[in-house]
Formats: sequence, structure tokens, C-alpha cells
Amino acid sequence: MKPTCRRICDLLAEYADDTLTAEQRAEVQHHLDACPPCRTIAGKECGARQLLRACADRLRAEQVPPALRSRCHELSRQSANARLWSRRAVRLAAAAVLIVVTGSMLSVVTRHSDALLAAQLTADHVKCFTFFGHEPGRTLDAAQAQQMLREQFGMDVHVPPSSGPGGLELVDARRCLYAEGRIPHLMYQAKGQDISLFVLEGESRPPAEVTAFGHHTRIWSRGDRTFVLITPAAEAPAAAARYVAEEAR
Amino acid sequence: MFRRPSSAPSSADDFSAEALQFLEPLFATAMRLTRNRADAEDLVQDTYVKAFRHSEQFKRGTNLRAWLYTILHNTWRNRRRDASRAAVDVDSDQVEQLAAGGIGNDRIETPERILLRSTLDADLQAALDNLPEAFREAVWLRDVEEFTYAEIAEMLNVPIGTVMSRISRGRRMLYEKLSAPAAPVAAEAAGGRR
Repeated sequence: MKPTCRRICDLLAEYADDTLTAEQRAEVQHHLDACPPCRTIAGKECGARQLLRACADRLRAEQVPPALRSRCHELSRQSANARLWSRRAVRLAAAAVLIVVTGSMLSVVTRHSDALLAAQLTADHVKCFTFFGHEPGRTLDAAQAQQMLREQFGMDVHVPPSSGPGGLELVDARRCLYAEGRIPHLMYQAKGQDISLFVLEGESRPPAEVTAFGHHTRIWSRGDRTFVLITPAAEAPAAAARYVAEEAR
Repeated sequence: MFRRPSSAPSSADDFSAEALQFLEPLFATAMRLTRNRADAEDLVQDTYVKAFRHSEQFKRGTNLRAWLYTILHNTWRNRRRDASRAAVDVDSDQVEQLAAGGIGNDRIETPERILLRSTLDADLQAALDNLPEAFREAVWLRDVEEFTYAEIAEMLNVPIGTVMSRISRGRRMLYEKLSAPAAPVAAEAAGGRR
């Protein structure tokens, strides 16, 4: 391995994590453009990270054996007993059970970083367009989609209609597989490219842009509502994407 | 957000309740670490015994989750050493050299294709279980649990540079296991230790 390649390879963990400075990142990118072996290595590292991020919630959700759960709660009770008077400890155990149960049921979106949110929603974008590929030529009326959002999610969202620039068409509106179906997924196409818009209610986060799985993710909020727009990173239908972002409210 | 009794644990009650919130991810981590349900249960239980016993050593306002993971990993290391099972851990320098030179599979699939596999979760889990421990724990803590390099270095008791190279090489090995066309990693993992 050449010295330059070795130096670049030392930066690949951070390259895949997207924690390099802009300058370092540009240097790595420049080298990767010119060096196929390093590009292969970088592809593997980025690929592994993206796949793990997309599946992180499911990998972490190992079913805890009930006996272990009660033993741990018993331990907490005992330790509290040792320090505090017992009545308080009983209350604690009840509270702890409640908290653990609520904590594990929430497939919480809010605590996730932008990169994780992007990886998971990109995974959904790719899967939805692959598995539920709509019939060619089928479009969905924006008013219908708005009604569906109101009825199924209690959301009053302005859905960008078809016929935007770049031949934009609204093709489907589904319940996202992510977050136990609590997020609506609006599916668009423009010039044969797939575009997704996800709406997260009751959540506000700073704007962010992330690239994962060959797709570009844009995250922004309006008031108490966050939008996530996903487009292919290459040959992105820029005008159509801009239109969707501007129209969505 | 996680429902918290208060922004910081203000009493022993709150401390215990907050610590118990991490039962599920700690157990998942223990499963990947031990690759064995009974060992994972023991490990998690020991972790909580120590956490509750030494709760006063936890600095309020610092990261309770990272503290618990540190206890979990220390407990696992001590247990391996006590049971003189350290031999299983292979010489990790040797493993790292192996990983540095020994990877040559350039016929890789795209992440998008791997993503569409119906067996993705099982494949990922098997590929992880198949990594040498030093790489498995580093990759898990970074990519699944999202700890920082510094936090992981403390948990594993190794320098940050080592953490980064293990993450790097671990990811590469993992990806190759996932994209190997006809390598049923699940079968290999099942035939592994214990």
C-alpha cells in the first residue's frame, strides 16, 4: 500500500462517520476519485455503516427475557431498600416498570441523529419504491392524499400536487414502515426518478443535509413539524425537489 | 424522547429508574458480546449489581448510558480473564494485522442491493457475530449505539487510534461477509464458539 493510500485509509472511519473537517473530507474525496482500490475500501466502510445505521433500532431491540427483567428490578429495589425506607422503594419499582415499558414501546424518532434518521428513511424510500412499485402512469390526487393524512394521522398537511416542474407526479401516499407506521410517506416521481417526502409531526429540528445509500436527504422544520425529503444523489431532479420542499407545509 | 423522571437523577430512585431504561440495549449489546443467551443474562445482571452498588460513584450530569456500557465491558473483560478464556480472544494485534493485509475480496455488492434482502437483519446479526471480538464490539458501539470514539476508547480501555482502526477494519470485514455471494454466514456463526 502506498504511503498516501495508508494515510487516506486512516481517515476512512471518520470519512464514513462524516466527522472530518471540510478540508480533510475534500482531500479524501480527491484521492478516492483517483484511486480505485481505496474507493473500494471506502465503499465497504460506508456501506457497512449505512446498513448498520438503517437497522440499528431492530438490532438493539433484543427481547429481554422476563426473568432477567424482574431480577434487575428486584436488584434496584434491594439497593433502594438498603438506602431508603421501604415505602419509597415500592413506589420506585412501580415507576421503573412504567418507564421501562413506555421506553421500549416508543420507537422514538426524536432522539435520533440526522444521519440515523436519514439512513432509516432512505431505507424505507428504497424499499417502498422497490416493493410497492406503483402501476405506471398512476397518479394520486393531492386532495386525496391530504384527506388520507387527516383521517389516518390527524395531520393537516398541504401536500404538493402533481404537475410541478420537471414533470413531477404524486404517485402514492403510504404509512411509512418506520416508527410503527406513524409517519406518512408521500411518494413522487419526476423524470423516472423517485422522490420521497416524509412528515414528522410534533417535532422540530435544525435543518440538515445528509447523503446515505446513494441518496440525498434534506431535513427541515416548519413550526412543530419536520419534513424529510429524499432524492437520488446522482442526477437528482433538482427543480422538482425544490418545488416539493417549497410547497410542503 | 425517553420519559425521564427529571432532567438529571436527583435521588437513588431516579438513578435506578433511569438505569433500568437501558435494559434492552444493554442486553442486545451483551448478546453480541457473549453470543450466548445465558452468558448475556449473567453479564447484564452483574452490570446492574455493580451499577446499583456503586451508584454514588456516578457523576450526576454525566452520561449514564456510557457509564453503564463501561461497566458492562469491564465486567466482561474481567470475567474472560478470570475464566482464563483470554486465549479465545486471539492475539488482537495478530487479528489486526490479519485484517490489514488479508482482505482482498473486491467483488462487492452495492449497499442498496444488500438493503433489499429479506434476510437482512439475520444476515447482519450473523455477520457481526462472525467478526473477531475486538472488531465486533468497536463496530457495534459506534454504528449501532452511536457512542463517540472517546467514549468507546474508555469502555474498551484502548487508545482512540486503536478504536478508529478497529472500527474501520471491522466495517470492511463486515461488509465483505455481507456481500460474499454464497457464504452462509449464519451457519458459520452457529458453529462458532460454544
